[in-house]
Amino acid sequence: MDPEQRIKIHDPQILKLAAQQLFESVQAPRNNINGNNSLFTRNTLLQFTANPIRVIACAILAVFGAAIIASFVVGGGIFTPTDPTWRAMQQRGSWRVGMDPSFPPFELLDEHGQMAGYDVELARAMAARWNLRLELVPIGFDSLLDALQTGQIDSIVSALPYDPRATQNVRYSPPYFEAGIRLVVRADSPLLSQSIVEVEQFSALLANQRLAVEWGSAGDMVGRRLQQAAATIELQPFSTPEEAVSALLTDASIDALLVDNITLLTMQGQGAAISAVGPALEANPYVIASPITAPVLQQEIADALQALSADGTLQGLTIQWLR
Amino acid sequence: MIADWFAHIRRLLTEKPPVALLIVTVIVVSSASLLSRLLANDSLMLGPPRQVVSINSKMGIHTRLTDEVEEAKIKQSLEMVREMGASWIVEYFPWAYVEREPGVFKWKHSDMVIQHAHHQGLKIVARLGFVPEWARPPETTPLYLDEENFEAFGRYAAEFAARYQEQVGYIIIWNEPNLSLEWGFQPVDPAKYVRMLQVVYPMIKAANPNVQVLAGALAPTLALPGDPNGMNDLDFLQRMYDADAAPYFDALAIHAYGWHSAPDDPPAPDVVNLRRSELLRAIMVENGDAAKSAMITEGGWNDHPRWTRAVRPGQRIEYTIRAYEVAQQEWPWMEAVAFWAFRYPWDAKSYQDYFTFVRTDFEPKPIYSEVAKYAAGE
Repeated sequence: MDPEQRIKIHDPQILKLAAQQLFESVQAPRNNINGNNSLFTRNTLLQFTANPIRVIACAILAVFGAAIIASFVVGGGIFTPTDPTWRAMQQRGSWRVGMDPSFPPFELLDEHGQMAGYDVELARAMAARWNLRLELVPIGFDSLLDALQTGQIDSIVSALPYDPRATQNVRYSPPYFEAGIRLVVRADSPLLSQSIVEVEQFSALLANQRLAVEWGSAGDMVGRRLQQAAATIELQPFSTPEEAVSALLTDASIDALLVDNITLLTMQGQGAAISAVGPALEANPYVIASPITAPVLQQEIADALQALSADGTLQGLTIQWLR
Repeated sequence: MIADWFAHIRRLLTEKPPVALLIVTVIVVSSASLLSRLLANDSLMLGPPRQVVSINSKMGIHTRLTDEVEEAKIKQSLEMVREMGASWIVEYFPWAYVEREPGVFKWKHSDMVIQHAHHQGLKIVARLGFVPEWARPPETTPLYLDEENFEAFGRYAAEFAARYQEQVGYIIIWNEPNLSLEWGFQPVDPAKYVRMLQVVYPMIKAANPNVQVLAGALAPTLALPGDPNGMNDLDFLQRMYDADAAPYFDALAIHAYGWHSAPDDPPAPDVVNLRRSELLRAIMVENGDAAKSAMITEGGWNDHPRWTRAVRPGQRIEYTIRAYEVAQQEWPWMEAVAFWAFRYPWDAKSYQDYFTFVRTDFEPKPIYSEVAKYAAGE
């Protein structure tokens, strides 16, 4: 288009004329189908269908379009991820959950031989939200992932620690419980007033402090790690976590304790006036695992956990089973 | 054509010296880099030779370097073993990794492990097994070996014994043959295991008369007669002697897991504990093998919080150190105690992780530090 023509196009009269021509050209075929004119006649149709490539292309487009419509009717839309596990759960009317009932208070066998515990109640609350029946399948801890991957169960809810190496094989939920190592102090400790946001801040905070640990435990290991950064931290080992907690409560020379969050909550439940300072020094989040082919279930679990956290159910389970 | 190239290069050198200089520089630097890489692949970062310092010369540990690829990690593992005060390592050298094709041996990884271990002053006990595909029928596991291939296994063992005669003084033939799982899911068969020894032992001795051949490495089990999963280790050992095993091994390899028991708990045929080793020893003596020694090549305690056979972490430390003491003070016939396991290349994310002394990132667990203190006499 040369500059001269470009100038002409900006003329309102010319633009109006062009628009009118375009409108007529669009209207023309419609008129022809109605038999008013001869532009789109039977001959044109025969000419079009004489070319097999056009026919095949149209057939493919038709099938594709039908598939899109069908997917919306059957599965809620073509962009909805497929999830055989979630679909099977809906058809079966149940959520099949694997757990090893040998880890109280998360999962255990009660006096009637029934599975009970924090995880059982959590799974029950989630199944109820989905209007599904909960099926509990007892499986040894080391066989849980195999059972999940072979389709024997829909999910694992069994105080399962997050394993970053397994994310190619299973889908994890967000953490619902943090079982990691905490710094624990007496309720009247001046350390409680300290604001600790990052794990790296602990070594400076604990310089010249005396920490109780269970000898050989993960808390002991974290303590030795802190000593590498602050040599003035002193560790006092005890045979059991209960002895360490007792020492913290009764021995004024002990400033704090390094213990896992389950022990902390359990001892608090038994009336120990102790509190945690800052975040977990070594994280150990518990998560729910589902098959890698179950994106819908993964999302439903995430949504359910969020809702159960928001309405206080998770907090209630902690109080019920750990305190 | 080549003459044309030379003419072109000569013209380039005379007409455009800066370009020519640049090309020559690139060629020289690339060649030097390639050469240094080739040399680096063939030489190991051994460092100065070291010696173990320990108050207990029987202390050992089973390393797990089979699947550890990086040389730096292999070196670090073995350095830490030495620093812990352990003089012995048991390590697995799978036949299928070395002889993937019949008669073609790839020793690069084995060389790396053995040279580093030897350089750290460690005594190496090599566990051999794991059958390559070509030496077993299709659809069988690498733990399946037919009698017709005992000789092929013997050839591998003999090549190994000859190659490492300066560094490896001990070889274990097979692992836990009293478990069906470890016997290729066949019914366990002490007489067949003895026939394996009768083929392989002479071949190893012919290749290296000085190497000590260990047999057994039996899993401690309380299996009842007829159990398809395995045979009681005490019964299996007696049946080995009944099948004339005695002339075909120099020492007995023992697996001694403690489960809940303390190291001083007495032995009993219906109990799995450390001192079950004494019952195996008694069978050796009863069968005229009192002159032979034994060696714990697997064992120890586990401190997983939910495994039903685990103990508290502090108990694990206490029992482990006491077990080393028992071997040194009470068992003159016990040559070494190598517990399972020093470190895994990756987390198992199961109770297995609670057998290790060092995390996968090499952070020492408290048990490592406490055992090191014991070995240092602190």
